[in-house]
Amino acid sequence: MIWLTWRQHRRQALFTLLGFAALAALMVPIGLSMRNTWADLGLADCVRQLAAPNVAATIRDTCDAGFHRFTNRYSSLNLVAVLLLTLPVLVGLFWGAPLVAREVEQGTHRFVWTQGLGRTRWAVVKFGVVAAAAVLAAAGYGLGMSWWVEPLTQAAREGRLGMIVFDLQGVVPIGYTLFAVALGIVAGTVWKRMLPAMGVTLAAFIGVRAAVAILARPHYQPARTLTFPIVGTDGPQADRGGWILAQGVRNPDGTLVAEDTRIQCPPGVTAPDGRPCGAELGVEPGAYNWQLYQPADRFWLFQGIETGLFVALAVLLLYLAVRRVRRIA
Amino acid sequence: MDVVVEADRLGKRYGSAWALRDCSLHLPAGRIAALVGPNGAGKSTLLHLAVGLLKPDAGAVRVFGRSPYGDTEGLADIGFVAQDTPLYRDFTAAELVVAGGRLNRRWDAGLARTRLAQLGIPPDRPVGKLSGGQRAQVALALALAKRPRLLLLDEPVASLDPLARREFLQSLMGSVADAGTTVLLSSHLLADLERVCDYLIVLNAAQVQLAGAVDDLVEEHRQLIGARHDGGPIGGVAAVVRASHTDRQSTLLVRTDGPITDPAWTVREVGLEDVVLAYLADGSTRTSHDEWGVPA
Repeated sequence: MIWLTWRQHRRQALFTLLGFAALAALMVPIGLSMRNTWADLGLADCVRQLAAPNVAATIRDTCDAGFHRFTNRYSSLNLVAVLLLTLPVLVGLFWGAPLVAREVEQGTHRFVWTQGLGRTRWAVVKFGVVAAAAVLAAAGYGLGMSWWVEPLTQAAREGRLGMIVFDLQGVVPIGYTLFAVALGIVAGTVWKRMLPAMGVTLAAFIGVRAAVAILARPHYQPARTLTFPIVGTDGPQADRGGWILAQGVRNPDGTLVAEDTRIQCPPGVTAPDGRPCGAELGVEPGAYNWQLYQPADRFWLFQGIETGLFVALAVLLLYLAVRRVRRIA
Repeated sequence: MDVVVEADRLGKRYGSAWALRDCSLHLPAGRIAALVGPNGAGKSTLLHLAVGLLKPDAGAVRVFGRSPYGDTEGLADIGFVAQDTPLYRDFTAAELVVAGGRLNRRWDAGLARTRLAQLGIPPDRPVGKLSGGQRAQVALALALAKRPRLLLLDEPVASLDPLARREFLQSLMGSVADAGTTVLLSSHLLADLERVCDYLIVLNAAQVQLAGAVDDLVEEHRQLIGARHDGGPIGGVAAVVRASHTDRQSTLLVRTDGPITDPAWTVREVGLEDVVLAYLADGSTRTSHDEWGVPA
């Protein structure tokens, strides 16, 4: 049965390997060049220094300038990162969706499911082998991307927890890929034709991923709040790389005066007409900046939760697929 | 007499339409049975139920006394060739023999290879590039390599040219005769199977119209010709299968349950084909005037 799976899918496996090789040939030089620039600008020291408490303002300014130069130079790569985000769903489309749909479309399910092995065994082994291959590919992809995006995320104010970069690296690609493959298989058992199954897989994958990223992920752990005065030289002491979920300016009684913004005035500065800092926004004396955020050190916890969620969904879908296979004639 | 396939008021429904309904039949062991009926009569459905691909919606089907749906162990005894002989088209015949070995505990690879060699099938060409007849032979060889006790073939010759049909059926008969394998093969044309089968099941409009040994069926049906008949009982006639009338004369195809002694009727023997056609003509045209919106 494993032999049969290999024989049927060796061409797909070869194409995937070739695709990976081409991707690596493109990405590794870019990654190396990023790292050279990173070292030339001395940004590795910056990351270490900024992690310490009570950083001197001069160091922070120099480092911010360095990060800025780096970001300016490589910001176009964020587009590449977004494109790479589609890889897991491609695996689902081209490995998962045809798995059952193609057999049914060509009628070969009637050949293979009437052999002495039985179709449940067929489904379990076949889904298992393809899922294992997908996990391997995704693990390689996740590791490679972790290395590749590291400078980009460290240079950005929002660290690894930010949208898109979080989804690219670490172990979450394993969850996404497995989910995409399982989704493709189930879609194939329901629609039984490759093209509709692929379409449904694509739509459902995007829907679920977006829903989880926007609705669920910010609440994996209770978010922390940070408040700091609107008048002062020191910026917020929030750790670099925190994922800011919401921010605004609040009056002393707690009402939100201005959303999605922050105010920072040096002490003693007033507006030209003599009013205190932020008065035009309706800010009362004693108002403070407020931020709701997920701290950067929760990265691996969030990766674990999100991966677990998608792996669980994938297992559920695969179970459904095995059940569905028993009902196709 | 052993019964291999046994159906008891078996039914299968797709949506609200019954593809097979109230199907009761017994297929004795060692028979070469033809399953005949027009397209859409439920032949494939019956075969799929027998091989366990489908789950019955009503009644029961048993193969070797076991319910085939979900019964993996029973599959070892059933060789099945589906309609259009589906095979992995990019596999070579040799690879398919290997694949069969991986998919079955009991597998006679030697038998398959010998067969394919005798038939002159190239082992290293993708089966998608073989002719329809050769592909059907590969599918049959794979089914026989399981050494099945029951062989189910769904329209195995439908897509073959007449020469390939004859060769296919000949090679089929040659290989099942010695092993005593029971065979159930379907076709929408009786003429394809008349020479090889000794048992007949006629399926039409989702129901079994007729089932029995070919000799018995021919023996118990007669054609009667006589003066116009008003539908009254005739001595020795169990049922009138089909009647056609002119102004003065009636021609009846009847099932008999005794000798017909009434001198008013001229009694003729009938061929198998006439019997089958008589049963198929009966109730085969479900009118669809309403659906078309035209007057009946």
